[in-house]
Parts: sequence; C-alpha cells; structure tokens
Amino acid sequence: MLAPEGTDEDWIRRAQTGDRTAFPELVRRHQTAIYRFLLRMLGSHEDALELSQDTFIKAWQALPQWQPEAQFRTWLFRIASNTALDALRRRKLVEFVPLEESFDAPDSGPDPERQAQATQEVRQLAASLQKLAPEHRQVLLLREVEEMSYEEIGHVLALSEGTVKSRLARARAALIEIHARRRP
Amino acid sequence: MNPAEECPRTEALSAWVDNELGEAVRAELAAHVAGCAICAPVLAEFRQLHGAFAALPELAPDVDIAPLVDRRIAAAAAQPQTPPRPPPQRMRWWQAVPLALGGVLSLSLGAYLGSMLMLGSQATAQPAMRQMAAFTAIPPGALALCPTRQTCNPLER
Repeated sequence: MLAPEGTDEDWIRRAQTGDRTAFPELVRRHQTAIYRFLLRMLGSHEDALELSQDTFIKAWQALPQWQPEAQFRTWLFRIASNTALDALRRRKLVEFVPLEESFDAPDSGPDPERQAQATQEVRQLAASLQKLAPEHRQVLLLREVEEMSYEEIGHVLALSEGTVKSRLARARAALIEIHARRRP
Repeated sequence: MNPAEECPRTEALSAWVDNELGEAVRAELAAHVAGCAICAPVLAEFRQLHGAFAALPELAPDVDIAPLVDRRIAAAAAQPQTPPRPPPQRMRWWQAVPLALGGVLSLSLGAYLGSMLMLGSQATAQPAMRQMAAFTAIPPGALALCPTRQTCNPLER
C-alpha cells in the first residue's frame, strides 16, 4: 500500500481535529521502527508487539498536548524508550532470548565459510547486546540502528549532547568487552 | 583537543565513528591515532562494531499494528467515563473542636485511671511483704548478727 502524502505534522493536526483515519496512518509510518527498537530492547517478539501498541496508545492519549516544535519521531521514541525501561524494571527481564535463530546475515559473497562467519558474528552481537545495561543498549540502538544524531538522541533520552557522547563511548566499550568474553 | 588527555581517547574515537566531530578536531585525532598504539586498535574495534550493527537483519512486525491500536482506542472510548472524584473537603476549625475535646477527655481519663491503679498496687504490696518476712534467715525483730555459723547456714556442720 502506498503511503499517503503529507508530513507527520499534517496527520497529527488531522488526528487532533478528530479525523479517525489520521492516527492509524501515523502508526503505520512508525510501527516498524518502534517495533524494531522494542524488540532489540526486550528480546521478545510478544513483548515488543504489546509494548509497541502501548507506545502508540500513550502517544494518542498525549496527542492533544503535542507541540509542533517536537519532532514526532523522537517524541514517539521517547515514549517507547520509557515504556521499555519500565517493562524491564517491572519484569526484571535479564535472560537472553535468542533473536537471530531464524535469521541469516546479509549475503556476504559466494564463500559459504565467510557467510557462516558473518551469521555467527551477527548472532553474537545480538546476544551481547542483550547482556548490555538497558541504558547503554538504548543509546546504541538509537545511534547505530535508528541512525539518530546526538541532538535527536538527546531529545529522546532527555540528555545533553555531551552526555549522549560520553554514554555512547561507554556503551561501545562495554559491548566490545562483553563481545570479547563471549568469543570462543 | 587537550594534549594531556589519556589514551585511549574513547569519547573522541566514538564520536569520530559517529561522524560527530568537526573537521579540525577529526584531523588532529587522525594524526594522533596514526602514531598511537593504544587508540588505533580501539578505533578499529569501534569501526568493526559499527559494521556489525549495519549487518544486523531488518526486523519488522509480522502484523499491522495500526488496526490493533485503533481497536484499543475505540474500546477505551466506548467505556463509560467514571465521574471524577470530588476533592476531599478541608475541615473548618470549629468542626475540629469536638474531636479535640474528645481527645483531651480520653487522655485525662487514662491518666486518672492509671494513677488509681498505681496507688492500689502500693497498698496491697505492703502486707504481702510483711507475710514473706517470716521466711527470711533472720526472724523479724532479731539482730542481723548470727550467734553461730550454723544458725545462718544450717547445712554447714
């Protein structure tokens, strides 16, 4: 289905004035990114699906207060990020759930040995990511997967750009250490 | 960049991988890394990690979340709204007078009954003490000195 024309702000205004078709359009635009972030944060498809819905419900409830100065994407990620941290604290979800069992790494060439190595690397990274502290995991996912700038990450996590910079560096160092310990 | 900064310059290297350094700072850091045995491997690891993230598979939900959310919103809207609870009213000073009087009366009654109980226990304790005096080693009215050792300690022979 082709995405209808218009910016997020246009659709938000329509939703704010009572257009019932507007909010589902906003959900469709952002559901993949929100689900992907929550899946990497929580390590469970069911939890990610449930918390994605919770994120959008919270956004819908707060929509009357939304200001055009705030970017809708970073605002949504802020809700998703807080929802994920709350769920992690509540459920004490620290066990690793293998995410990559059914996935293959992108084709890295005709060499099967190289491809198997790449697949192994991806699995190890996903596993190491689950061992990382949630605050480190979220900042790395926002940067490396969602490709947000330091300024955008600052808006999502309510941090200064300087704090984002230092937290990212610490998160990378911690992930490399975990990754090194997991290597045979 | 501060030349006294310790190596590895983790923050600066991480920001370089993120392309968040200014041109001058990046050039200065590149010159440093080229001759630093500590920073060079850290930068290589950060770049490798960046590459590994790029290789992570694309993940997408297997269902359209929009109708699920829409259904929950419609269900919430269909529920009858519970009227907001009125805020608790503040008590006026004259409404607190009976409560204060009751409290003072209770305390006074408690103190009075307590003092009566203490007096009664002192009055009954004295005769009991006199009766128990018959069982002491020194009979009532006798001097505290023992005439013989056996008198005070009959087991000793």
